[in-house]
Amino acid sequence: MQTSATRNVVVNNPQGLHIRAATAIAKTVRQFASKVELVSNDHRVDGTDVWQILSMGAHAGTELALEASGPDAHEALAALARLFSENFGEE
Amino acid sequence: MQKLQGIGVSPGVAIGEALVMDTEGFRIPRRFVARDAVDDELERLNRAVAAACEEITHHRDAVSKELGEKYSAIFDAHLQMLQDSRLQSELEDMIRLRHYSPEYAVSRVLRRYAGIVQNLESRYLAERANDIFDIEKRLLRHLLGRRREGIAHLTSPVLVLAHNLTPSEAANLDSRFVRGFVTEVGGPGSHTAIVAEALGIPAVVGTGPFLTEVSGGDQVIIDGDEGLVILQPDEETLARYFHEVEEAHTQAVKLESLRDLPTETADGVRVELFGNIEFPYEVDHCVDRRADGVGLYRTEFLYLGADSEPTEDEHFQAYSRVVRAMGDLPVTIRTFDMGADKVRHLPAPEDEHNPFLGLRSIRLALRNLTMFRTQLRAILRSSALGNVRVMFPLVSTVMELRQAKMVLADMMEDLDENGIPFNRDLPVGMMVEVPSAVIMIDHFVEEVDFLSIGTNDLVQYTLAVDRSNKDVVSLYNPADPAVLRLIKMAVDAARRRSLPINCCGQMSGMPHYAMLLLGLGLRQLSVSPGALPEIKKVIRSVRMEQCDAVARRVLSMENARDIKSYVKEELKRAVPRMA
Repeated sequence: MQTSATRNVVVNNPQGLHIRAATAIAKTVRQFASKVELVSNDHRVDGTDVWQILSMGAHAGTELALEASGPDAHEALAALARLFSENFGEE
Repeated sequence: MQKLQGIGVSPGVAIGEALVMDTEGFRIPRRFVARDAVDDELERLNRAVAAACEEITHHRDAVSKELGEKYSAIFDAHLQMLQDSRLQSELEDMIRLRHYSPEYAVSRVLRRYAGIVQNLESRYLAERANDIFDIEKRLLRHLLGRRREGIAHLTSPVLVLAHNLTPSEAANLDSRFVRGFVTEVGGPGSHTAIVAEALGIPAVVGTGPFLTEVSGGDQVIIDGDEGLVILQPDEETLARYFHEVEEAHTQAVKLESLRDLPTETADGVRVELFGNIEFPYEVDHCVDRRADGVGLYRTEFLYLGADSEPTEDEHFQAYSRVVRAMGDLPVTIRTFDMGADKVRHLPAPEDEHNPFLGLRSIRLALRNLTMFRTQLRAILRSSALGNVRVMFPLVSTVMELRQAKMVLADMMEDLDENGIPFNRDLPVGMMVEVPSAVIMIDHFVEEVDFLSIGTNDLVQYTLAVDRSNKDVVSLYNPADPAVLRLIKMAVDAARRRSLPINCCGQMSGMPHYAMLLLGLGLRQLSVSPGALPEIKKVIRSVRMEQCDAVARRVLSMENARDIKSYVKEELKRAVPRMA
């Protein structure tokens, strides 16, 4: 079943979406079958692409919309939201 | 086109190809590839990526096994980024469509990403873009293999752009091909500044981060007069600067004709004009330009970047080269003037939170007598070969000066006992660069044979300004009336005793201060060899009464900015072509 879902998150870790955070996002997204995109203002990037995520230049405090579509869209967004709320496992 | 504002530390304009140095001091090449080589180049890129991935995997596994997965996570991130299909296609496009070399494509693409990350981080001073530079370096290493180019082997003129230049990097550059320097960090006192001045090429420091936006081979303009760096200039800007370079060249040719004329004012007052040097070969520039001697021979280069303390003979070789080249003309050798942090073989100082107020120069010498004695012995030995004078830096109390003189007397005795020739009447002088020395100048003049005002440090210590700190550098101004009054006090005290007094800071080499300095009573100026012709031109163009009037007026003024614009105006009136 194809579903789509949207969820808003805020980048909370002080360093913003830097390398490790971007890698963690891409890694998480790849575990799901759904297509996930990150949207900031009108900048829309593929959630599996580290370099695109990096090039958003999202610093702490940036609001992002996560948009997923596919069989496990809700699960994917739940996993991502957890990642954001845990500050990508940083201190 | 992109303009960067930094601090101009060596004047002039240079236009040319960028040589971008990576953090390890290697250059990042630009090479376009031939159309028919594109497939081979793509293959080369793929091999390099594969090799880099293999290397990272290996690292990751080793680290993970030893320290746990948490620590290997960053390698995992590197690996993912390298294997990313978007990166690969971006690189391939550059090679296939734009015919960039893989090296150039790699540094172009990765530096762009590093730029984004640096921008992120400039807000939080968090993790730097080093991870991306790491990936870049790894790929470049695999691409270039042994062909990785050091900066010692240049074959065409370049402008060197670097984060920072270490003394040894600066010294290793092939000066025949370097036409200018830009560094992201550093201030007027940095080594880059000294080397650039010595080479007589423009330099700008303290631009802030920009290396992520250039690649080797890009066209760059360095404007050392204005402290500007222009990346990929447009046609109009380029034309304007080419014109400026041509003008400067015409001017230089004209100044050349003054070479054999005496340095005296239009009304016949003789001024001694000396050269400041650091590296022995610079003495040739002094000889070529008929300097009246070497007014300041800095000796720090012997220590900087050396793994062990220089031997007496290494000192002697360097000094004798300069002394012999100058013949009968005076050579003033300044004993080492640096902090303990710059000398590798000394233990790191413990409380050095404030190096400019710390254990440096004469203080360091008096605490490391063996090192000091070695240098003094070599200076004494070289005094047998010509007209040598010795000078102590950063003297702040009379006691220090006396101690230094005692060590010198010791060394004389030592040489005497060993029957080694030296000049028994070796003139001994000191730098006047700490305000306390000026305040106590009536005592100091009793103890020395000559004085030399070091304006760079005098400005810094008088105004309490670290000139490598961009937030306060605007307070750093040799035209500050407080500084000028100190200079006047020192000159007056020396002249009352007919003691020679020289002025050897960067201020002396700036044409707009020449009239003022003469008006304050100075009859000796010491400037970088590159500035000799210009300063001579100013001196020969002005009359002493004009200079006196300038000094009188300036001494009644109360702020540095007004003084600076006034002396610039006066120079323009007196020597219209110069300003």
